Amino acid sequence: MTISINPRLLRIAVSIVLATIVAGCASRPQWPESETLNTAPDGEQRLVLDDVPFYPQERYQCGPASLAMMLNSQGLNTNPEVLKELVYLPERHGSLKVELVAAARAHGLLVYPLDGSLKSLLDEVAAGNPVLVMQNLRFGWWPQWHFAVVMGFDAEERNLILHTDTRGHHEETVEVFMATWERAENWAAVMLPPDQLPATAEPLRFLVSANDLETTGRTLAAATAYQTAEKNWPDQPAAIMGQGNIAWEQGQPKLATDHYQRLTRKFPRVAAGWNNLAHSLAAQGCTTAAETAASCAAAINPERFDGAIPEIACTDNPDTCPVLQCPVPSDQTL
Amino acid sequence: MQTIRKHLRYVSFFMALVMAFGTVWASSATAGMVGTGELLTEQRADLDRQSLMNMLERDEVKERLAQMGVSQDQVEKRIQSLTPAELSSFEQQLAEAPVGEDVVGIIVLFLLVFVVTDMLCATNIYPFINCIR
Repeated sequence: MTISINPRLLRIAVSIVLATIVAGCASRPQWPESETLNTAPDGEQRLVLDDVPFYPQERYQCGPASLAMMLNSQGLNTNPEVLKELVYLPERHGSLKVELVAAARAHGLLVYPLDGSLKSLLDEVAAGNPVLVMQNLRFGWWPQWHFAVVMGFDAEERNLILHTDTRGHHEETVEVFMATWERAENWAAVMLPPDQLPATAEPLRFLVSANDLETTGRTLAAATAYQTAEKNWPDQPAAIMGQGNIAWEQGQPKLATDHYQRLTRKFPRVAAGWNNLAHSLAAQGCTTAAETAASCAAAINPERFDGAIPEIACTDNPDTCPVLQCPVPSDQTL
Repeated sequence: MQTIRKHLRYVSFFMALVMAFGTVWASSATAGMVGTGELLTEQRADLDRQSLMNMLERDEVKERLAQMGVSQDQVEKRIQSLTPAELSSFEQQLAEAPVGEDVVGIIVLFLLVFVVTDMLCATNIYPFINCIR
Protein backbone atom coordinates (compact mmCIF):
# COMPACT_ATOMS: atom_id res chain seq x y z
CA MET A 1 0.00 0.00 0.00
CA THR A 2 1.40 3.33 -0.94
CA ILE A 3 0.46 6.64 0.52
CA SER A 4 0.09 9.21 -2.16
CA ILE A 5 0.74 12.76 -1.10
CA ASN A 6 -0.62 15.60 -3.04
CA PRO A 7 2.53 17.61 -3.99
CA ARG A 8 0.60 20.87 -3.81
CA LEU A 9 -0.56 20.20 -0.25
CA LEU A 10 2.98 19.24 0.70
CA ARG A 11 4.34 22.48 -0.67
CA ILE A 12 1.80 24.47 1.35
CA ALA A 13 2.58 22.55 4.51
CA VAL A 14 6.31 23.09 4.09
CA SER A 15 5.91 26.78 3.51
CA ILE A 16 3.73 27.13 6.60
CA VAL A 17 6.34 25.38 8.73
CA LEU A 18 9.10 27.52 7.23
CA ALA A 19 7.12 30.71 7.73
CA THR A 20 6.59 29.85 11.39
CA ILE A 21 10.30 29.20 11.94
CA VAL A 22 11.38 32.34 10.13
CA ALA A 23 8.82 34.46 11.96
CA GLY A 24 9.97 32.93 15.23
CA CYS A 25 13.56 33.94 14.54
CA ALA A 26 12.68 37.46 13.50
CA SER A 27 10.53 38.25 16.48
CA ARG A 28 12.82 37.03 19.23
CA PRO A 29 13.25 40.19 21.28
CA GLN A 30 16.57 41.42 22.55
CA TRP A 31 17.00 42.52 26.13
CA PRO A 32 18.64 45.95 26.03
CA GLU A 33 22.30 46.21 27.05
CA SER A 34 22.59 46.24 30.82
CA GLU A 35 25.04 49.16 30.80
CA THR A 36 22.27 51.37 29.44
CA LEU A 37 20.25 50.67 32.54
CA ASN A 38 22.94 51.93 34.85
CA THR A 39 20.38 53.95 36.80
CA ALA A 40 19.56 50.79 38.74
CA PRO A 41 21.34 50.88 42.12
CA ASP A 42 24.80 49.25 41.98
CA GLY A 43 24.15 47.32 38.81
CA GLU A 44 21.35 45.43 40.47
CA GLN A 45 19.66 43.08 38.05
CA ARG A 46 16.26 43.13 39.69
CA LEU A 47 14.29 46.29 40.34
CA VAL A 48 10.79 46.63 41.73
CA LEU A 49 8.99 49.90 42.40
CA ASP A 50 7.42 49.15 45.75
CA ASP A 51 5.54 52.42 46.01
CA VAL A 52 3.16 51.45 43.21
CA PRO A 53 0.00 50.14 44.88
CA PHE A 54 -1.93 47.24 43.38
CA TYR A 55 -5.65 47.05 42.68
CA PRO A 56 -6.94 43.73 41.35
CA GLN A 57 -9.24 44.50 38.46
CA GLU A 58 -12.87 43.58 38.48
CA ARG A 59 -14.44 42.13 35.35
CA TYR A 60 -13.16 44.02 32.27
CA GLN A 61 -12.01 46.91 34.41
CA CYS A 62 -8.29 46.93 33.76
CA GLY A 63 -8.51 50.59 32.67
CA PRO A 64 -9.72 52.14 35.92
CA ALA A 65 -7.50 49.80 37.98
CA SER A 66 -4.34 50.60 35.98
CA LEU A 67 -5.08 54.32 35.99
CA ALA A 68 -5.61 54.28 39.76
CA MET A 69 -2.20 52.64 40.25
CA MET A 70 -0.56 55.24 38.02
CA LEU A 71 -2.23 58.18 39.82
CA ASN A 72 -1.65 56.78 43.32
CA SER A 73 2.04 56.29 42.60
CA GLN A 74 2.22 60.06 41.99
CA GLY A 75 0.59 60.75 45.34
CA LEU A 76 -2.91 61.43 44.03
CA ASN A 77 -5.66 60.13 46.24
CA THR A 78 -8.12 58.14 44.13
CA ASN A 79 -9.30 54.58 43.52
CA PRO A 80 -10.74 52.46 40.69
CA GLU A 81 -14.32 52.94 41.89
CA VAL A 82 -14.06 56.72 41.48
CA LEU A 83 -12.21 56.48 38.16
CA LYS A 84 -14.70 53.99 36.77
CA GLU A 85 -17.16 56.86 36.39
CA LEU A 86 -14.60 58.72 34.29
CA VAL A 87 -13.14 56.09 32.02
CA TYR A 88 -15.23 52.94 31.93
CA LEU A 89 -17.62 52.30 29.06
CA PRO A 90 -20.05 49.59 30.22
CA GLU A 91 -21.27 48.95 26.69
CA ARG A 92 -17.75 48.34 25.34
CA HIS A 93 -16.68 46.32 28.42
CA GLY A 94 -13.60 48.48 28.74
CA SER A 95 -11.87 51.80 28.61
CA LEU A 96 -10.39 53.69 25.72
CA LYS A 97 -6.77 54.79 25.67
CA VAL A 98 -7.73 58.42 25.03
CA GLU A 99 -9.97 58.41 28.09
CA LEU A 100 -7.20 57.18 30.36
CA VAL A 101 -4.93 59.88 28.97
CA ALA A 102 -7.61 62.56 29.35
CA ALA A 103 -8.39 61.48 32.92
CA ALA A 104 -4.71 61.68 33.89
CA ARG A 105 -4.55 65.19 32.42
CA ALA A 106 -7.68 66.13 34.33
CA HIS A 107 -5.70 65.22 37.46
CA GLY A 108 -3.02 67.73 36.42
CA LEU A 109 -0.46 65.16 35.28
CA LEU A 110 1.59 65.39 32.12
CA VAL A 111 1.12 62.30 29.96
CA TYR A 112 4.32 61.51 28.11
CA PRO A 113 4.00 58.75 25.49
CA LEU A 114 7.22 56.74 25.19
CA ASP A 115 8.92 56.06 21.88
CA GLY A 116 7.84 52.41 21.92
CA SER A 117 11.22 50.78 22.49
CA LEU A 118 11.78 48.27 25.27
CA LYS A 119 14.87 50.19 26.31
CA SER A 120 12.92 53.39 26.96
CA LEU A 121 10.33 51.45 28.92
CA LEU A 122 12.98 49.89 31.16
CA ASP A 123 14.82 53.21 31.50
CA GLU A 124 11.67 54.82 32.85
CA VAL A 125 11.09 52.00 35.34
CA ALA A 126 14.74 52.19 36.39
CA ALA A 127 14.26 55.91 37.00
CA GLY A 128 11.37 55.13 39.33
CA ASN A 129 8.49 55.88 36.96
CA PRO A 130 5.83 53.16 36.56
CA VAL A 131 4.75 52.79 32.94
CA LEU A 132 1.20 52.31 31.70
CA VAL A 133 1.22 49.88 28.78
CA MET A 134 -1.41 48.71 26.34
CA GLN A 135 -1.39 45.08 25.24
CA ASN A 136 -3.33 42.91 22.88
CA LEU A 137 -3.68 39.54 24.57
CA ARG A 138 -5.15 37.79 21.53
CA PHE A 139 -4.58 38.28 17.81
CA GLY A 140 -4.60 41.27 15.53
CA TRP A 141 -7.82 40.13 13.85
CA TRP A 142 -9.57 39.23 17.12
CA PRO A 143 -8.17 41.62 19.66
CA GLN A 144 -8.43 41.51 23.42
CA TRP A 145 -7.12 44.88 24.56
CA HIS A 146 -5.63 45.17 28.00
CA PHE A 147 -3.99 47.82 30.17
CA ALA A 148 -1.33 47.04 32.74
CA VAL A 149 1.34 48.82 34.74
CA VAL A 150 4.99 47.85 34.38
CA MET A 151 6.59 48.48 37.76
CA GLY A 152 9.74 46.38 37.73
CA PHE A 153 12.04 44.09 35.82
CA ASP A 154 14.51 41.30 36.32
CA ALA A 155 17.36 41.59 33.84
CA GLU A 156 18.85 38.24 34.72
CA GLU A 157 15.65 36.27 34.24
CA ARG A 158 14.68 38.52 31.28
CA ASN A 159 11.34 39.20 32.97
CA LEU A 160 9.15 42.25 33.24
CA ILE A 161 7.21 42.72 36.45
CA LEU A 162 3.67 44.00 36.05
CA HIS A 163 0.58 44.78 38.03
CA THR A 164 -1.90 43.21 35.65
CA ASP A 165 -5.51 41.92 35.82
CA THR A 166 -5.87 40.17 39.20
CA ARG A 167 -2.16 39.51 39.66
CA GLY A 168 0.17 41.88 41.46
CA HIS A 169 3.93 41.55 40.88
CA HIS A 170 3.25 39.26 37.95
CA GLU A 171 6.46 38.24 36.18
CA GLU A 172 6.22 37.96 32.43
CA THR A 173 9.03 36.86 30.12
CA VAL A 174 10.18 39.49 27.66
CA GLU A 175 9.07 37.24 24.77
CA VAL A 176 5.46 37.11 25.95
CA PHE A 177 5.41 40.77 26.86
CA MET A 178 6.86 41.95 23.56
CA ALA A 179 4.44 39.80 21.55
CA THR A 180 1.39 41.25 23.30
CA TRP A 181 2.80 44.78 23.43
CA GLU A 182 3.74 44.87 19.75
CA ARG A 183 0.21 43.88 18.81
CA ALA A 184 -0.90 47.09 20.53
CA GLU A 185 1.64 49.15 18.57
CA ASN A 186 4.03 49.42 21.53
CA TRP A 187 1.90 52.00 23.28
CA ALA A 188 3.32 53.06 26.63
CA ALA A 189 3.18 56.24 28.66
CA VAL A 190 4.38 57.70 31.92
CA MET A 191 2.21 60.10 33.90
CA LEU A 192 4.16 62.60 35.96
CA PRO A 193 3.66 65.95 37.68
CA PRO A 194 4.55 68.69 35.17
CA ASP A 195 7.64 69.78 37.13
CA GLN A 196 9.30 66.40 36.55
CA LEU A 197 11.02 65.26 33.40
CA PRO A 198 10.56 61.66 32.28
CA ALA A 199 13.87 59.79 32.13
CA THR A 200 13.67 59.37 28.37
CA ALA A 201 12.21 62.82 27.69
CA GLU A 202 12.94 64.28 24.30
CA PRO A 203 12.39 68.07 23.93
CA LEU A 204 9.77 68.30 21.20
CA ARG A 205 7.82 65.26 22.38
CA PHE A 206 7.70 66.70 25.91
CA LEU A 207 6.64 70.12 24.64
CA VAL A 208 3.84 68.55 22.61
CA SER A 209 2.64 66.85 25.80
CA ALA A 210 2.80 70.22 27.57
CA ASN A 211 0.83 71.75 24.72
CA ASP A 212 -1.81 69.04 25.16
CA LEU A 213 -2.21 70.23 28.75
CA GLU A 214 -2.53 73.81 27.49
CA THR A 215 -5.16 73.01 24.88
CA THR A 216 -7.22 70.92 27.30
CA GLY A 217 -7.43 73.82 29.73
CA ARG A 218 -4.97 72.60 32.38
CA THR A 219 -3.32 76.00 32.23
CA LEU A 220 -1.35 75.95 35.47
CA ALA A 221 0.04 72.47 34.83
CA ALA A 222 0.94 73.50 31.27
CA ALA A 223 2.77 76.62 32.48
CA THR A 224 4.77 74.50 34.93
CA ALA A 225 5.61 72.02 32.18
CA TYR A 226 6.84 74.83 29.89
CA GLN A 227 9.01 76.19 32.71
CA THR A 228 10.44 72.72 33.29
CA ALA A 229 11.21 72.46 29.58
CA GLU A 230 12.86 75.90 29.44
CA LYS A 231 15.06 75.05 32.40
CA ASN A 232 16.20 71.74 30.90
CA TRP A 233 16.41 72.65 27.24
CA PRO A 234 17.41 76.32 26.85
CA ASP A 235 17.46 75.82 23.07
CA GLN A 236 13.69 75.32 22.71
CA PRO A 237 11.78 78.47 21.70
CA ALA A 238 8.38 76.79 22.14
CA ALA A 239 8.99 76.46 25.90
CA ILE A 240 9.11 80.26 26.26
CA MET A 241 6.42 80.87 23.68
CA GLY A 242 4.06 78.58 25.62
CA GLN A 243 4.53 80.60 28.82
CA GLY A 244 3.87 83.83 26.93
CA ASN A 245 0.75 82.45 25.26
CA ILE A 246 -0.62 81.28 28.61
CA ALA A 247 -0.04 84.70 30.18
CA TRP A 248 -1.80 86.25 27.18
CA GLU A 249 -4.75 83.86 27.50
CA GLN A 250 -5.04 84.80 31.14
CA GLY A 251 -5.31 88.48 30.23
CA GLN A 252 -1.85 89.51 31.43
CA PRO A 253 -0.29 91.29 28.43
CA LYS A 254 2.53 92.75 30.51
CA LEU A 255 3.66 89.34 31.68
CA ALA A 256 3.20 87.99 28.15
CA THR A 257 5.42 90.78 26.82
CA ASP A 258 8.15 89.79 29.28
CA HIS A 259 8.08 86.21 27.99
CA TYR A 260 7.95 87.22 24.32
CA GLN A 261 10.82 89.66 24.81
CA ARG A 262 12.91 86.90 26.35
CA LEU A 263 11.92 84.73 23.38
CA THR A 264 12.93 87.29 20.75
CA ARG A 265 16.18 88.03 22.58
CA LYS A 266 17.22 84.38 22.67
CA PHE A 267 15.72 83.34 19.34
CA PRO A 268 15.68 86.45 17.13
CA ARG A 269 15.01 84.35 14.00
CA VAL A 270 11.65 82.94 15.23
CA ALA A 271 9.13 85.14 13.43
CA ALA A 272 6.17 83.93 15.50
CA GLY A 273 7.84 85.36 18.62
CA TRP A 274 7.97 88.87 17.08
CA ASN A 275 4.38 88.54 15.89
CA ASN A 276 3.06 87.66 19.34
CA LEU A 277 5.21 90.36 20.91
CA ALA A 278 3.57 92.88 18.59
CA HIS A 279 0.15 91.81 19.87
CA SER A 280 0.99 91.95 23.55
CA LEU A 281 2.70 95.34 23.14
CA ALA A 282 -0.32 96.68 21.28
CA ALA A 283 -2.56 95.54 24.13
CA GLN A 284 -0.34 97.53 26.48
CA GLY A 285 -0.65 100.64 24.32
CA CYS A 286 2.96 100.63 23.10
CA THR A 287 2.45 101.85 19.53
CA THR A 288 6.01 102.30 18.31
CA ALA A 289 7.33 99.09 19.79
CA ALA A 290 4.36 97.10 18.44
CA GLU A 291 4.99 98.49 14.96
CA THR A 292 8.64 97.53 15.13
CA ALA A 293 7.86 94.01 16.35
CA ALA A 294 5.27 93.46 13.59
CA SER A 295 7.73 94.64 10.96
CA CYS A 296 10.40 92.28 12.33
CA ALA A 297 8.00 89.32 11.98
CA ALA A 298 7.19 90.34 8.40
CA ALA A 299 10.87 90.81 7.56
CA ILE A 300 11.78 87.30 8.75
CA ASN A 301 8.81 85.47 7.25
CA PRO A 302 6.91 87.68 4.77
CA GLU A 303 4.77 84.78 3.55
CA ARG A 304 3.29 84.15 6.97
CA PHE A 305 3.16 87.64 8.51
CA ASP A 306 2.01 90.73 6.66
CA GLY A 307 3.46 93.26 9.10
CA ALA A 308 0.05 94.76 9.87
CA ILE A 309 -0.03 96.49 13.21
CA PRO A 310 -2.48 94.96 15.69
CA GLU A 311 -5.13 97.24 17.10
CA ILE A 312 -3.57 99.51 19.70
CA ALA A 313 -5.38 99.56 23.00
CA CYS A 314 -6.15 103.03 24.32
CA THR A 315 -4.75 103.11 27.80
CA ASP A 316 -4.38 106.36 29.68
CA ASN A 317 -1.03 105.51 31.11
CA PRO A 318 0.78 102.94 29.00
CA ASP A 319 3.35 100.84 30.80
CA THR A 320 6.96 101.59 30.09
CA CYS A 321 7.49 100.51 26.51
CA PRO A 322 10.63 98.77 25.34
CA VAL A 323 12.74 99.99 22.44
CA LEU A 324 13.08 97.19 19.92
CA GLN A 325 15.37 96.45 17.04
CA CYS A 326 14.92 93.81 14.36
CA PRO A 327 17.62 91.16 13.97
CA VAL A 328 20.06 91.50 11.11
CA PRO A 329 18.62 89.73 8.12
CA SER A 330 19.97 86.34 7.15
CA ASP A 331 18.67 83.86 4.64
CA GLN A 332 17.73 81.33 7.30
CA THR A 333 14.10 81.69 8.37
CA LEU A 334 11.87 79.91 10.81
CA MET B 1 -43.04 82.92 1.06
CA GLN B 2 -44.89 86.21 0.81
CA THR B 3 -43.59 87.33 4.19
CA ILE B 4 -39.99 86.57 3.27
CA ARG B 5 -40.29 88.59 0.09
CA LYS B 6 -41.77 91.47 2.05
CA HIS B 7 -38.85 91.55 4.38
CA LEU B 8 -36.27 90.79 1.72
CA ARG B 9 -34.54 94.12 2.12
CA TYR B 10 -34.01 93.60 5.85
CA VAL B 11 -32.96 90.03 5.40
CA SER B 12 -30.36 90.95 2.81
CA PHE B 13 -29.11 93.84 4.90
CA PHE B 14 -28.71 91.48 7.83
CA MET B 15 -26.93 88.92 5.64
CA ALA B 16 -24.58 91.58 4.29
CA LEU B 17 -23.71 92.57 7.85
CA VAL B 18 -23.01 88.97 8.80
CA MET B 19 -20.81 88.52 5.74
CA ALA B 20 -18.90 91.71 6.47
CA PHE B 21 -18.24 90.65 10.05
CA GLY B 22 -17.22 87.23 8.84
CA THR B 23 -14.50 88.76 6.67
CA VAL B 24 -13.29 91.00 9.46
CA TRP B 25 -13.00 88.03 11.81
CA ALA B 26 -11.26 85.90 9.24
CA SER B 27 -8.63 88.50 8.46
CA SER B 28 -7.90 89.15 12.11
CA ALA B 29 -7.56 85.41 12.67
CA THR B 30 -4.78 85.03 10.09
CA ALA B 31 -2.70 87.81 11.61
CA GLY B 32 -3.52 86.89 15.20
CA MET B 33 -1.48 85.29 17.93
CA VAL B 34 0.49 82.24 16.92
CA GLY B 35 -0.36 79.25 19.12
CA THR B 36 2.33 77.12 20.73
CA GLY B 37 1.11 74.11 18.76
CA GLU B 38 1.79 75.81 15.44
CA LEU B 39 5.37 76.61 16.41
CA LEU B 40 5.87 73.02 17.58
CA THR B 41 4.57 71.59 14.29
CA GLU B 42 6.92 73.88 12.41
CA GLN B 43 9.90 72.85 14.51
CA ARG B 44 9.13 69.16 14.21
CA ALA B 45 8.96 69.56 10.42
CA ASP B 46 12.30 71.39 10.38
CA LEU B 47 13.87 68.60 12.40
CA ASP B 48 12.44 65.88 10.14
CA ARG B 49 13.51 67.77 7.05
CA GLN B 50 17.02 68.13 8.41
CA SER B 51 17.31 64.42 9.18
CA LEU B 52 16.06 63.54 5.71
CA MET B 53 18.64 65.90 4.23
CA ASN B 54 21.38 64.28 6.28
CA MET B 55 20.37 60.89 4.93
CA LEU B 56 20.82 62.15 1.40
CA GLU B 57 24.49 62.56 2.22
CA ARG B 58 24.97 58.80 2.53
CA ASP B 59 26.85 57.26 -0.34
CA GLU B 60 24.46 54.35 -0.88
CA VAL B 61 21.54 56.71 -1.17
CA LYS B 62 23.40 58.97 -3.58
CA GLU B 63 24.33 55.97 -5.68
CA ARG B 64 20.78 54.60 -5.90
CA LEU B 65 19.37 58.00 -6.76
CA ALA B 66 21.97 58.38 -9.48
CA GLN B 67 20.91 54.99 -10.83
CA MET B 68 17.36 56.25 -11.03
CA GLY B 69 18.57 59.30 -12.85
CA VAL B 70 17.58 61.81 -10.18
CA SER B 71 20.07 64.45 -9.23
CA GLN B 72 20.67 65.22 -5.57
CA ASP B 73 19.98 68.86 -6.18
CA GLN B 74 16.51 68.06 -7.48
CA VAL B 75 15.72 65.86 -4.49
CA GLU B 76 16.87 68.49 -2.02
CA LYS B 77 14.62 71.05 -3.61
CA ARG B 78 11.68 68.73 -3.34
CA ILE B 79 12.33 67.89 0.29
CA GLN B 80 12.03 71.60 1.04
CA SER B 81 8.47 71.57 -0.23
CA LEU B 82 7.25 68.48 1.66
CA THR B 83 4.53 69.17 4.21
CA PRO B 84 4.97 68.41 7.94
CA ALA B 85 2.58 65.46 7.56
CA GLU B 86 4.56 63.93 4.71
CA LEU B 87 7.80 64.38 6.60
CA SER B 88 6.46 62.81 9.75
CA SER B 89 5.09 59.84 7.82
CA PHE B 90 8.63 59.24 6.63
CA GLU B 91 10.02 59.42 10.17
CA GLN B 92 7.28 57.00 11.20
CA GLN B 93 8.27 54.47 8.53
CA LEU B 94 11.89 54.77 9.53
CA ALA B 95 11.10 54.28 13.22
CA GLU B 96 9.00 51.22 12.52
CA ALA B 97 11.72 49.49 10.54
CA PRO B 98 13.13 46.55 12.51
CA VAL B 99 16.73 46.88 13.66
CA GLY B 100 19.14 45.81 10.97
CA GLU B 101 16.67 46.30 8.17
CA ASP B 102 17.88 47.97 5.01
CA VAL B 103 17.44 51.62 5.98
CA VAL B 104 18.71 52.80 2.62
CA GLY B 105 15.87 50.87 1.02
CA ILE B 106 13.31 52.76 3.09
CA ILE B 107 14.85 56.13 2.30
CA VAL B 108 14.96 55.42 -1.40
CA LEU B 109 11.43 53.99 -1.33
CA PHE B 110 10.16 57.16 0.32
CA LEU B 111 11.91 59.37 -2.20
CA LEU B 112 10.55 57.13 -4.91
CA VAL B 113 6.98 57.52 -3.67
CA PHE B 114 7.06 61.24 -3.08
CA VAL B 115 9.57 62.40 -5.63
CA VAL B 116 10.20 60.05 -8.49
CA THR B 117 6.61 58.90 -9.04
CA ASP B 118 5.83 62.50 -9.71
CA MET B 119 8.03 62.35 -12.77
CA LEU B 120 5.96 59.47 -14.02
CA CYS B 121 2.78 61.52 -13.58
CA ALA B 122 1.37 59.13 -10.99
CA THR B 123 0.92 61.98 -8.58
CA ASN B 124 1.17 65.65 -9.16
CA ILE B 125 2.48 67.14 -5.95
CA TYR B 126 5.15 69.25 -7.61
CA PRO B 127 3.89 71.39 -10.44
CA PHE B 128 7.42 72.27 -11.61
CA ILE B 129 8.25 68.69 -12.55
CA ASN B 130 7.65 67.77 -16.14
CA CYS B 131 6.27 64.33 -16.76
CA ILE B 132 8.11 61.68 -18.70
CA ARG B 133 5.69 60.34 -21.26
